[in-house]
Amino acid sequence: MADEQKPEKEQRSPEQEAPRPEARPAGPRREAGPGGPRRGKRQFFRKKKVCRFCVEKIDFIDYKRVELLAPFVQERGKILPRRMTGTCSRHQRWLGMAIKRARNIALLPFSGGVEGSGSTHQHRERGERGREVREREPKEREKES
Amino acid sequence: MEERLYDLIFICRPATPQEELDRILGVLEHACAEKGGKMEKVERWGVRKLAYNVARQREGFYVYALLKTARGDLVHELERRLRVQDAVIKYLTVRVDEDLRRQRKHAQRRELRAARRPRKAPAQAESGRAGTGSGEPAASAK
Repeated sequence: MADEQKPEKEQRSPEQEAPRPEARPAGPRREAGPGGPRRGKRQFFRKKKVCRFCVEKIDFIDYKRVELLAPFVQERGKILPRRMTGTCSRHQRWLGMAIKRARNIALLPFSGGVEGSGSTHQHRERGERGREVREREPKEREKES
Repeated sequence: MEERLYDLIFICRPATPQEELDRILGVLEHACAEKGGKMEKVERWGVRKLAYNVARQREGFYVYALLKTARGDLVHELERRLRVQDAVIKYLTVRVDEDLRRQRKHAQRRELRAARRPRKAPAQAESGRAGTGSGEPAASAK
C-alpha cells in the first residue's frame, strides 16, 4: 500500500477505520485503478469492509426489492464491483443475478440515468413513431411527435 | 413431480382499467385450472415508474402473482396467454422454490449452530463464518 496515498485517502474516506456496513462508496469512483494495490493509481482498498448480507444474515436476495439492490448499482446502472461494496463472493453472485432479473422487469435500468453521456448507450431511444431520437442541444429527451 | 413455486410478474400499460386487469387475471386463473396449478398470491402493485421505456411508456401497472404448480408447462401456457394481451407490455417468470428452500436451509442451519454454541457474541460468531472458514464443519457446505 503506497504511503503517499494515505493523506488523500484519509481526506476522502474517513470511514475507512470502522467497518460500517451501511457505508456506501462515497469517493469518486472514476478514479479507482483497475484493481490491485500495486498500481500507482488511487485506490480505495477497504480491507475491513464486511459483506452487508453476511452481517445481516440475508439468505435470499430478492430481485423485487429494489431498495436492497439500488445501493449496489452505479448511477449509470452498472453493478458495483465487490471491491467497492465489500460483498462476499457468494452474495455478489446472488446480487448480480437479482439485479439482472430486476433489470429485466424494469425495476432497475440497464444503463442510463446520467444525461448527456450518450456514447455509452446501447440502444438508441425511439420516439413515438419509432424513429430515432437524436441527442439534442438542450439535453432533454423530448419525444419526436 | 413435486410442487414448484414461481414468481410471475407482468406489467400492463398504465392506463389499463381494472376490469381489464381482472379479465387478464381471469384468463390466467383459467389456464391454471386447466393445467393444474394455483395462483396463491396476487398483488397489484399499481403504477410505477419504469427504469427504462417499454413500449414507449414510462410507467406501468405492475401485477405480481405467486404460482404453485406441479406442471412445468403451465408456465409456458401462462406466458403465451400474456403475450397475446395487448395491455401486457412485459412479463417475467422466475422459479423460486429452490431459492426459498435454500434460504430455509441456511436459516435452519444458523439456528442450529446458534443453539449449539453458548451465545456470547452472536454478531462476531456469524461474521466469522462469512469470511474465512471457521473451524465449524457444517459451515463449509453451501
